[in-house]
Amino acid sequence: MTSDKVLIIGGGPAGLEAARCVAELGREAILIEKRERLGGTPDRENYAKLTHHWRDASEAMAELAASVTSHPNVEVKYQAEVKGLTGDEGNFEVQIEAGGAAESLNVGAVIVATGFQHFDPGRATQYYNYYSFPDVITLTDLEKMLKDHNVVRPSNGEAPKKIAFIQCVGSRDRQIGNEYCSKVCCGIASKQAIELRQQLPDSKVFIFYIDMRMYGYWENEIYWPAQEKYHVNYVKGVISEVLPKGGQLLVRGEDTTMSRPMEVTMDLIVLSVGMEPSAGTRAIAQLMGIQQNKYGFIEAGGAGGLDPVATSRPGIFVAGAAAGPADLDDSISRAGLAAARAVASLRKVKVLA
Amino acid sequence: MAVKYEKAKGVEKEHAVVDGVDISGHWNRMFEQRTIFEYTPELIEKIAVLPNAESFANCYQCAKCVAVCPVDVVGNYGPRKLYRYAQTSMDLTEAPELWLCTTCANCLRVCPKEVNMVKIMPAAREQAILDGKFVPPELQQAFENTAKSGNPLGQPQRKRDAWIQNAGAPIPIIKDLGRPVDVLWYVGSYPSYHPRGIDAASAAARIFTALGIDFAILGKEEKDDADSQRLAGEKGLFEMMAEYNIETFNKYEWKELVVTGPHELNAFKNVYPKYGFERPVLHYTTFLARYLDQLKPLLKHEVNVKVTYHDPCYLGRHNGEYEAPRKLLEAIPGVELVEMARNRENGYCCGGGGGGMWMDSFTQKHTKMRLSEKRAMEAASTGANVLAVACPFEVSRFEDAVKSTGNEHVTVNDILELLDRSMRGNAAG
Repeated sequence: MTSDKVLIIGGGPAGLEAARCVAELGREAILIEKRERLGGTPDRENYAKLTHHWRDASEAMAELAASVTSHPNVEVKYQAEVKGLTGDEGNFEVQIEAGGAAESLNVGAVIVATGFQHFDPGRATQYYNYYSFPDVITLTDLEKMLKDHNVVRPSNGEAPKKIAFIQCVGSRDRQIGNEYCSKVCCGIASKQAIELRQQLPDSKVFIFYIDMRMYGYWENEIYWPAQEKYHVNYVKGVISEVLPKGGQLLVRGEDTTMSRPMEVTMDLIVLSVGMEPSAGTRAIAQLMGIQQNKYGFIEAGGAGGLDPVATSRPGIFVAGAAAGPADLDDSISRAGLAAARAVASLRKVKVLA
Repeated sequence: MAVKYEKAKGVEKEHAVVDGVDISGHWNRMFEQRTIFEYTPELIEKIAVLPNAESFANCYQCAKCVAVCPVDVVGNYGPRKLYRYAQTSMDLTEAPELWLCTTCANCLRVCPKEVNMVKIMPAAREQAILDGKFVPPELQQAFENTAKSGNPLGQPQRKRDAWIQNAGAPIPIIKDLGRPVDVLWYVGSYPSYHPRGIDAASAAARIFTALGIDFAILGKEEKDDADSQRLAGEKGLFEMMAEYNIETFNKYEWKELVVTGPHELNAFKNVYPKYGFERPVLHYTTFLARYLDQLKPLLKHEVNVKVTYHDPCYLGRHNGEYEAPRKLLEAIPGVELVEMARNRENGYCCGGGGGGMWMDSFTQKHTKMRLSEKRAMEAASTGANVLAVACPFEVSRFEDAVKSTGNEHVTVNDILELLDRSMRGNAAG
């Protein structure tokens, strides 16, 4: 039996935006979310501020979630997971488990918005000792500290005086297997550097980088103020060794523009971990039989390469970071397109007039 | 003796003794600490907090400035490097680098972040002077001369208009004239005292007279503009001189102020307005280009030379005048004008700006050759036999440079001298 409903898998920024768009286009959307709450990674990982107008992340996500939950065309199922999918464009049977009970849904199109996960720094070949040195943390760990206005050295609870970001941890690395640029870490590290200088004005903040990749307006909205107004120190040359020294951490690398070796002690080291496909993204791709790229993200682009929401299976679309590293703008704009394509596919197969 | 051109100066210590062995001038770089053990952002901060020096913190190390920095061409320098040196322990206020910048503004032309060394350097130098840090003695002398004698050469004020006796044209002193004039001609210190400057000033006087221009000079009342002293860090001295000059300018009635030198143009046009002086100011090339139609019939004699023109930084990049000097040269019958590779917006600095005029001995210790020598070689490579200039600092600088680089066949002339020669033929000498 054909259906004019659209199933959206994942309640993060992309899934929320896709559900909202489908609903606003006048169709019924079913949004299923594994957790008991919406908001996705920004919510789960306690993001502090967004790069968009320096908005509070929880507030922005709650706003987006409210626009979905309050819409009469959207049904949200929490603690729900997809267990199986059969059928074709216009007529999919989807087996789910929601709140412990098995259920079958008949939908015409599916949007996968299962997102990404942060790179596990234990996998880095440089041995930054994330799991052995308490004062080596990740962007995500720092994000939570910034949100709580409580940036301290985990080892002793004191405010750090010297903080170093190490860029490209788990990205742009053939040995690790993530050859791609994770796209957001330069901007997020710079954003956090500004927040650090706001919260700890006496601290010295360093960003050790290979190249600073500040897309579009991040250049003038984040990178430039970080350097010009907040006097964040950008040093070209990534740290390749972190050693214990007294109560501090000794970072070793090459200061490339000075062509000099560099050995400097730091109080806190922040690993700018990149993006990888989430476990959910990998699982859903397998389960639905849609193609993944060599990194495990869902292969998007369609035959001509210019359809960023098409998967290898007609009627199933992808949005957000499930298709590759993406910032919020990417995720949300791709979600809107996925919603439009899903509704259009229902018309194509004459489910809709 | 000709100077052999080499790209960069090594960093060997001039004086180094290791275990009792003097290895000065030898390959002793290995005895310097290479490893960076600490970053010193506070030393960037120290400069960036100075008024007008904020942009020092903006550098993102693209390095566009280095290739166009005239000092890097003859040494190892560049704004990008200064930022990193500061970040890695150099206190700019006590480093030799502080005094090498000529404020030529070629770095600013290409800088995407608008790091403005023309503002940063004077601010940092001023701080160094206030803190009692090292100041090159010869620069100190120029400051003292300016304060004491009203000119950086240390010549007596009463002799400022002595040159007019032999100028070959009547030169009215505005005070004696007792009536308003169209043009108040600010002669400048070098044209008033330096023998080769006097040549240009005398030529100017003859040209103005031939054109029937109603002009006068300040004579003994004229004092140095002090713009280069300001750029070299002596803001207090500059303000003192500006106050005097503005008061003097305002004593008389005139329509336009014409200056011989680009530094004076910059002072009166761009800086004095901050001190309440806002009147029309023209460099002599701009002024004379306006009279081209009247001037051409006066240029009766052929001057058969191949000329290349050096754009003064403070006429070109700082004040946008590139065409008037070229129009004047092209108006001279017989002159063939050829361009150097670096011209107009990308003109190469003579080394005299920003106080460089008075720091040649100091600069020489930190560079492989003088900027003027590099430029003289570039001029000679065009095949020109005349290097034409429009800044009173330049004649003496380039005359030394053509000699020291073995290019004595190149004559250095102010544009005024060439116009005068065409006007008067062999009589001009």
